Amino acid sequence: MKKIDKKVADAYFRTRTTLIMSFLAIGAIVSFGVVLVAESLTEITVMGIPLHYYMGAQGAIVTFIILLFLNAIISDRIDKKYGIDESRNESIGKGNPIDH
Amino acid sequence: MDSQFIVSFAFILATFGLYVGIAIYNKAKVASDFYVAGRGVPAIYNGMAIGADWMSAASFIGLAGTVMILGYDGLGYIMGWTGGYLLLTFLLAPQLRKYGRYTVPEFIGDRYDSNVARLIAAVATIIISFTYSIGQMSGSGIVIGRLLEIDYRFGTMIGAVLIAVYAALGGMKGITWTQVAQYVVLITAYLIPVIFMSLQLTNNPLPWVSYGEVLEQMKVLDAELGISDYLTPFTNGTKWQFIALMFTLMAGTAGLPHVIVRFFTVSTMKAARWSGAWALLFIGLLYLSAPAYAAFSRFILMTQVANSPINALPEWTKSWVDTGKLIIADTNADGILQWTELQIANDIVVMATPEIANLGIFVIGLMAAGAMAAALSTAGGLMMAISSSLSHDIYFRSINPQATDKKRLSVGRWSIIIASLVAGVVALNPPGAITQIVAWAFALAAASFFPALLLGVWWKRSNAAGVISGMIVGLSVTLGYIFAAKYGGFTILGIIDTGAGVFGTAAALITNIVVSLATKPPSKKIQEEVQDLRYPEQMTYRDGEVWLDNGEDIPPTK
Repeated sequence: MKKIDKKVADAYFRTRTTLIMSFLAIGAIVSFGVVLVAESLTEITVMGIPLHYYMGAQGAIVTFIILLFLNAIISDRIDKKYGIDESRNESIGKGNPIDH
Repeated sequence: MDSQFIVSFAFILATFGLYVGIAIYNKAKVASDFYVAGRGVPAIYNGMAIGADWMSAASFIGLAGTVMILGYDGLGYIMGWTGGYLLLTFLLAPQLRKYGRYTVPEFIGDRYDSNVARLIAAVATIIISFTYSIGQMSGSGIVIGRLLEIDYRFGTMIGAVLIAVYAALGGMKGITWTQVAQYVVLITAYLIPVIFMSLQLTNNPLPWVSYGEVLEQMKVLDAELGISDYLTPFTNGTKWQFIALMFTLMAGTAGLPHVIVRFFTVSTMKAARWSGAWALLFIGLLYLSAPAYAAFSRFILMTQVANSPINALPEWTKSWVDTGKLIIADTNADGILQWTELQIANDIVVMATPEIANLGIFVIGLMAAGAMAAALSTAGGLMMAISSSLSHDIYFRSINPQATDKKRLSVGRWSIIIASLVAGVVALNPPGAITQIVAWAFALAAASFFPALLLGVWWKRSNAAGVISGMIVGLSVTLGYIFAAKYGGFTILGIIDTGAGVFGTAAALITNIVVSLATKPPSKKIQEEVQDLRYPEQMTYRDGEVWLDNGEDIPPTK
């Protein structure tokens, strides 16, 4: 066990939280945001589909999928930057202290 | 017996054999196999298992039809049911995985240090999972019944017995690998017909790209008929109902115990994040295709069925008219079936596609197997959630903590068998339509689990009194609103019963915060455990300091 500077640990948490909050905000804009202004988007079309319908049927879902993969990839990078070793995580996670 | 019967029967029998075989091969030997599949499922396979666990009979059979009938307003289901994975993967799943318990109620009980909270959560899990499973059981009954031409009640019981057998054998370990197989079956069955239909109507094998063309032609047809445009927003409810429904489905998704527990089967927080990403990709394949199904089917109904002489309708319509799923009435007695004289049940859209597009008996058989896979995989996961609550949260944690591993496995197995059979019997006379029941289950999950888990993970000050009162208030507000809206005609901003979760969630969050602040903070140990969830496994928070486990020395004891 090695002690980590509290500032470093806080920075880790802050980076991850900022990432998550930005992604949630984008997710909210493409779904709730678009629904709120749906009536004004009917004239714009994407692949022959009016924008409000396109966002609900495809745009929002594709954005969600991209956000989830970005989160997984970027979080891995952050872990690496902070010297986290996934194989160590695995052995800690598996030998769970609270496996009844 | 015609050849269609033999082919459908063979497909269903082959997939059933596969599921039971997988469960026998992955028989659970110890409690951690039974509850969390030994915590070693690779993220990509867990993603498939989440997909199958998640996509129910309602998604497979009913979603495209709902989108077809509701037009734009049906998209609330698509965005709500996919958007929930953002909340789940970003805010809850990795942290809950690090906390390392077997069930969701166990997390709530230990995080809030309260047996009462655990028991309320266990009972809520059982009620939510049970309501949700009724739809799956009757859905599987309808499929078996229609395809094998037997009474759907026999079909329902066949489904229930099958789940009881394979879930009891393998526990979570068996269910995981069965769900992986079920995902492959269901997605293949879902995509093949829509790809062929896209080829037939637009000469383009990619339905996701081609249905825009069909929507444009439909706009012209709608205008000719003088009916409201298919794509016009908010024709079936207010904008606020759309938003409330979408929120309810998202928060409910993030709070459904049978889905969350799938994230407990992987090894680390990192694997939980990747599971969520893979899961939504696999789920997205179906959800992105549902609006294409809807567009193609509506187009075919408008061009090939409507405006035909009533005695010269296409051949495939007959069996659907017989089952009452397609109602035709020549109300103006001109011998021609007008669009407005057609009434379409939403299950038709997907299930009739192979017949409409004339894809032959193998695709119809595959479709049946796919619909069964969707119903069984979800029902299996739900039965597992019920059984874990009964055998782990209630029996082991409250009644007999000294039980041996062997005893716990046997209690777990028996509770799955009993739960499956009871759900099967209730599904013989299912109350209300499938989508309706499912929508209520989401409102209840959104109001009970989502706030309890969200504050449990992100706010260390939240305590037992807060969570207990929060869950009770959340559930009461939701149930109250559902009944007031459904039977009393009371609504706020046009929000009906399916959107009730928005009020329940808000009420539960506010109650939890207010009551927690008015009572004593949780113990130092619990507050530290909550702060510990901010970091990956290798980092531990203790006494205001963060430690990195570099494997060099023995960690100091607590």
